[in-house]
Amino acid sequence: MYDIIIWPGWLAGAGIGLLMVAFHWVTGKQLGVSRSYCNLWAHVSKLPFFQQKEYTGTGWRIWFIAGIVLGGATAAMIGNQGDWHLQYDMGQAYEALLPSNVWLKILVLFSGGAVMGLGARLAGGCTSGHVIAGIPTLNFASALAGGLFFVGGLLTIQFVAYMVAL
Amino acid sequence: MNNIVFMIFGTFFGLLLSLAGATTFDFYAQLFLLQNPQLARVIGTAVLVGTAGVLLMKRVQAKALMTGARIVFEKKLKQKGLIVGSLMFGAGWGITGSCPGSAPAMLGEGKVIIIPVLLGVIAGTYIYGWFESRRAVDCKS
Repeated sequence: MYDIIIWPGWLAGAGIGLLMVAFHWVTGKQLGVSRSYCNLWAHVSKLPFFQQKEYTGTGWRIWFIAGIVLGGATAAMIGNQGDWHLQYDMGQAYEALLPSNVWLKILVLFSGGAVMGLGARLAGGCTSGHVIAGIPTLNFASALAGGLFFVGGLLTIQFVAYMVAL
Repeated sequence: MNNIVFMIFGTFFGLLLSLAGATTFDFYAQLFLLQNPQLARVIGTAVLVGTAGVLLMKRVQAKALMTGARIVFEKKLKQKGLIVGSLMFGAGWGITGSCPGSAPAMLGEGKVIIIPVLLGVIAGTYIYGWFESRRAVDCKS
């Protein structure tokens, strides 16, 4: 399962913190990923919300997210000595927590993604925009959002684990 | 040219997310089951280092290297849906074992099961845009 290299948490965390600062310093843009999904829609949807200048005029977000895909591919290649292959399982924890029927699992994951996407917009950011970039600017709303992200995840997974154990 | 800079930053971000374990589903469940502090360590250190960096940028009144303009720090306001939205985000974060930033990196790693999550995030974003667009029209009429 772990065929990617995992660094100690503090080391990778420091790297992510430095990258966030370097990104802001070099480009002048504040790091944040979830709004990229609005930029994707700006290309295909005529809804006024997606046709705001905030989304039509910020094509860099799509390049950034494309880079993230490349970064993941790079990590997999490094971890597997140049061999990139498809993986189908989610690992021990989620194979136990989620339905074993593949269609049900896909439905749960799609719904979870939808709740996450809608929630990110309602909250005004995700783990990167609110927590990694937002809290360091001493933004109260970001700190509140970050805390509630954790509460939401904690309640959900504890509840699911409880139900599975029954 | 500028777009390439953004893509390079994205590549390093994706690579770091992988190295951090943010693309490994198990770590998310273990975080919320309070079994393994890997991701808590990652987030904690990233925020600490980030805070030091932001203070430095403010202190030296940094200018963006690409544009020469003074760096501005977004004031993210407490939106009306912040509390409900954050809890919803957290629920999705936990149940999918991923987040909007790590999901694209998982796709890059070849984790096929992330595709429904990504489609979900895209759909959830659309639902918000649809409601917001309707609301804007209602206000005008």
